[in-house]
Amino acid sequence: MMRALVVMASKLLRSVHRGARESAFEQRVPGAGQRAPGRTRSASGSGRHAAPGSSWRGMQWPACWLLALLCGCNPGAPSRSDASKTDAEAVVSNAPTEADRLTALRENSHLPEFERVLAPRAFDFPRDHGPHPTFRHEWWYFTGHLDASTGEPFGFELTFFRFGLKPQAAIESRPNASSWRANQIYMAHFAVTDLERERFHVAERFSRDALGLAGASANPFRVALDDWSLEAAPSPSTWRLVAADGSYSLELQLDADSPMMLNGDAGFSRKSSVEGAASYYYSMPRMSARGTLTRDGKTFDVQGKVWLDREWGSGALTGDQQGWDWFALQLEDGSALMFYALRTRDSKRDPHSAGTWLASDGTTRPLANDDVSIEVQSHWTSPRHVRYPAKWRLRVRSLNLDVEIEPRLADQELNTSTRYWEGACLVKGTRDGREIAGKAYVELVGYAPAR
Amino acid sequence: MSTLWAASVRHLLRHPAQLALALLGLALGVATIIAVDIATASSGRAFELSMEAVNGAATHEVHGGPAGIDEALYVRLKKSGLAVALAPVVEGYVDVGRRETLQLVGIDPIADADVRGESRITAAPSPSPSNEGAETASSQVGGIEAVTRWLTEPGAAVMAASTASRLGIPVNGSFQVGVGGEVHEATLIGTLGSESAGYDTLLLADIAQAQEWLGLHGRLTRIDVRVSSGAEGDRELKLLQASLPPGTSIQTAQSRTQQSLDMTAAFTTNLQAMSLLALLVGIFLIFSAVSFAVVQRRRIIGVLRALGVTRARVMMMILSEALLLGAVGSLLGLALGTFIGRELVALVSRTINDLYFVVAVNEVVVPGFTIAKAVAAGIGAALVAAAVPAIEVANSAPSLGLRRSVVEQRAVHASRWLLGVSAGLAVAAGVIVWLSDRSLLAGFVALFLLLLTVSAITPAVLRGLALLASRVAGRFSPIARLAAGDVAASLSRTGVAVAALGLAIAAMIGVSIMVGSFRESLRDHLAQTIRADFYITAPGAGFGRPERRIDPDVLRDILAVHGIAEHTESRRVTVDSARGPVRVDALRMDAKSRDALAIIEGDKSTLWAAFEKGAVIVSEPLAWHMRLGVGDRIPLHTASGEREFEVAAIYREYGNDRGSLLMNRAVYSRLWEDDAVTGMGIYLKEGADPDAAAAAIREAVAGRQSLAMTSSGQIRTISMRIFERTFVITRVLYWLTAGVAAIGLVSALLAWELERSRELAIVRALGLTPRGAGALIEAQTGFMGLVAFLAAIPAGVLTAVLLITVINRRAFGWVIEFHFTTQQFVNAFAVAMIAALAAGIYPAWRMARAPLASDIREE
Repeated sequence: MMRALVVMASKLLRSVHRGARESAFEQRVPGAGQRAPGRTRSASGSGRHAAPGSSWRGMQWPACWLLALLCGCNPGAPSRSDASKTDAEAVVSNAPTEADRLTALRENSHLPEFERVLAPRAFDFPRDHGPHPTFRHEWWYFTGHLDASTGEPFGFELTFFRFGLKPQAAIESRPNASSWRANQIYMAHFAVTDLERERFHVAERFSRDALGLAGASANPFRVALDDWSLEAAPSPSTWRLVAADGSYSLELQLDADSPMMLNGDAGFSRKSSVEGAASYYYSMPRMSARGTLTRDGKTFDVQGKVWLDREWGSGALTGDQQGWDWFALQLEDGSALMFYALRTRDSKRDPHSAGTWLASDGTTRPLANDDVSIEVQSHWTSPRHVRYPAKWRLRVRSLNLDVEIEPRLADQELNTSTRYWEGACLVKGTRDGREIAGKAYVELVGYAPAR
Repeated sequence: MSTLWAASVRHLLRHPAQLALALLGLALGVATIIAVDIATASSGRAFELSMEAVNGAATHEVHGGPAGIDEALYVRLKKSGLAVALAPVVEGYVDVGRRETLQLVGIDPIADADVRGESRITAAPSPSPSNEGAETASSQVGGIEAVTRWLTEPGAAVMAASTASRLGIPVNGSFQVGVGGEVHEATLIGTLGSESAGYDTLLLADIAQAQEWLGLHGRLTRIDVRVSSGAEGDRELKLLQASLPPGTSIQTAQSRTQQSLDMTAAFTTNLQAMSLLALLVGIFLIFSAVSFAVVQRRRIIGVLRALGVTRARVMMMILSEALLLGAVGSLLGLALGTFIGRELVALVSRTINDLYFVVAVNEVVVPGFTIAKAVAAGIGAALVAAAVPAIEVANSAPSLGLRRSVVEQRAVHASRWLLGVSAGLAVAAGVIVWLSDRSLLAGFVALFLLLLTVSAITPAVLRGLALLASRVAGRFSPIARLAAGDVAASLSRTGVAVAALGLAIAAMIGVSIMVGSFRESLRDHLAQTIRADFYITAPGAGFGRPERRIDPDVLRDILAVHGIAEHTESRRVTVDSARGPVRVDALRMDAKSRDALAIIEGDKSTLWAAFEKGAVIVSEPLAWHMRLGVGDRIPLHTASGEREFEVAAIYREYGNDRGSLLMNRAVYSRLWEDDAVTGMGIYLKEGADPDAAAAAIREAVAGRQSLAMTSSGQIRTISMRIFERTFVITRVLYWLTAGVAAIGLVSALLAWELERSRELAIVRALGLTPRGAGALIEAQTGFMGLVAFLAAIPAGVLTAVLLITVINRRAFGWVIEFHFTTQQFVNAFAVAMIAALAAGIYPAWRMARAPLASDIREE
């Protein structure tokens, strides 16, 4: 989906601020989680990266920020309970002007060596499931609702981001090069919404594309970072999704032959009128999934419907765009709806907002900005003092669809290098006058002050 | 009581010179202790800081053998789902700029940030036509550009801003990185803002870059690990341990640092012992100063006692004075010591660089414990020194207090008594050496007892010689009789001063014999063992660094040069063992180099056959430290796990105080999977022209690798130079000690002169000219210097014996042959006389100018 462009790019910038803020935070609570473990940052764990007092001073170069994001410099994400006052103060005092960052982003994003998304293209599957290294960024974004055989419901998110430092074409193959040489960086997020226990577990990882530590290939189809992976196995039409962190692990078999929607103009998705501010974007909204989810050593057999968002491009947010709300609805009648509402800096809807409707018969139709009305019905403030919308009424007149969308758990905020909310929701309403229900994933980006 | 205090204070103030000297002596003694501590602590701290900068927040480190770790292990661990933070590191030493050695640390910034909790990546905007200009030079970019430059720009590297300005490298400037004789182009893409001194000698680059520069493709130097604290961490650690293959080991990060610091333990102990010696001499000084202050006031104290002041009060007064003196002197010493320490740091760190590890000291550390220790020593010394005269005066009957002769009588008694004490001390020193087998501390205790013996014996010797001189010289000149007799009669003054000087001279003789013997032993040894016509090594810092290796192709071409009869190949590494790290020299040797080895234990007829099969030869220090004998077995961690190696022989070597182990190179290559060659020895055929051969070798190497080619003569010269540098500190310390003794002498002479001013005034009234009076005093001090020297000779020789056979052996395991030269004694004599005569100048000058009438009238 669209988070693509924006997210990636803006994530980088935001992380900058976050790196600094969190360093400061850690500094004030010495000892908390010093030497704590953790190779992933996990929101349910306590702060894990306490910088040794003497050396963190060195971190105040703005440059570190960049890495903050990319390298997981983010020191321990405070656990839900300890979002302290310090945190809030830091947020306030650190709010920079968005314009500065976006200006910087636009300047930095002009990397002419990368291929730009300028026109529709013909997709070629399964080739296009694999990576597109001539473009700057790309992701494989899974979200889904799972039900255990015991009846326990879960939600999950597993995403792999690829970020190109140099396009493949520009890489000079040097003799004598180390196998650590890399031109791509991967980032992944893994979140489990444990509805029964009302717990939300998040982990974030980074790695360079080298030595098999992280990477993607089209044939055989595989995307991996450390021991988290997505691969076509055992057959090309079945994908296996594996991730584990802390007390949660997930292993799913996905049906890759499920319906697909090419968003925008046959997969060419424009995010603004600026040339190149676009992506290639397709979704597989209803992949049947079955497998196991393990919690604290106990394994559940689970099944459900998984949504895959695939997007790649080289562009970024434009200056007047603040963020977006992304809705991915899986309705009980077999239909699905995707809509991203781009928000401008003055909190209006950007006319480039758009979506796609997948009918239960497998046909799709694009949704324009005017087709969809969204009304926020309530708000929720996170333990980190970020105010998110928390309940929506979504209407599509042309489809005669009128539904309410409500989070299954309020706190599904990902306190990762870019802080955002992405959570499992329930859908209830009418279609053509008949009652209809369903499930959804909603993503809210651009609410948290830049870090 | 207030009268008492007033008397005390006024007295001190009325004799400022005396007060100043006492303070100066004490301050020098304290300063020496502090200076040595500062120098060693600063070097140690600098090393710790650089270790910290290098491996930061890691709790543990995974190490492999000398060839490092296969990077595939890291990938496997990373993908195995272990809950620990892991970061790969590739490290080495590189030369940047004008012969400056930096530690190159290659990191994966992502994993590094995971372990450290912070990122060390940094970059400036790339230079481009659009953003050229000064304002970009200092700014840092964030975001993707920094990562992109760091990861993808060939030659990208980062160093501390201070290092960059020291080396004169601007941001975005290019510079050259020399590694083992090869030169690579690098670009400074940014500077670290860190002010930590540990970053001063660091060059950070991406791990890929480091592998390429160091030629360590596929290998990691180590893997940094961070585990949680507590039980969770233990569990994680166990899991990690279980996943490690043989040939790798995990240990705590501190233990690694500690191992390196432990190497210098014996070295620093020796330095500290030297500094204690200075304080010991300082104690004599205070003793003479305080006791003089007491003696001068004998009359007033006698009056006070007669008026009813109690003994306890008198003692209190004297001890309080001493306490005050000690405190002020210690404070002065603290300031002085910090100053001297700064100068000493350079000497100490240079020695550590020569002998142990690479360290750059940019920050002077003054350990709190040192201050406490030195102040306590200073005050303690002052109290001890004051205790004797205090007890003496307090215990005198009031009337006796008025008579100085009583004191001198007592001094004579004391000197006889001290003779007995000195015999006891000597015996005790012998017994301690005999009973303690390996303890270095016991060795030093014995050394100090021995030196005290000198002090104890000196007053009696002085008196005896003075009486003798007075009898002999008296036949020719009454003045000479007077001069010598006076020395004997004023034993309470002269005895202490001469004892202090004797102590310093004895230490000086002992140390110079030890250093001289060591120097000659080393020279002989080098002449015997360094016999190849040329030695060729890959240049660089750190003997065991894997990047220091001779390119195999280059090596082959060198051997193709005409005229080479034999050659050796060596690889010097440090391997781990259950008993700590061991330096291993893996050698391929021919007949000549085998002959050159100084085998001192072991059967030469069977030795080489066993060596081919894997037996090892250990150096004397290693045999000493690890208590190895021929036939014993030593366990070492090979690439395939622990193995035992039989010790076939022990050889003499002075190159390394931790010892080394020689192993057949073929055996080493097989067991450690490492076939690099660090150095070569070239033996030319009979009659071959060395210059032509050298030129041919240079030509074979030209343009490929800049190898260091040295002749055996140069190696010997370099070795001797390092040796001399090592002992510069020792020399500095014994000059300090001699300085303390000289000041002691001045203060004693001044005191003495004041006491006998009336006597001397009478002599002058009887016709002695002012010049004659000056000459009289100079003759006396010269005589005292001579006696100090004579008394110091046997003690100095004994000290040398102790230093060579006990201290050196126990500290380092070296066996040294004695070499005496007259020069050593001539030098000591010169120092004794110069100190004594110089000390006499001021008193003589005063004496010559003293107003006769008032001095005579005094009573």
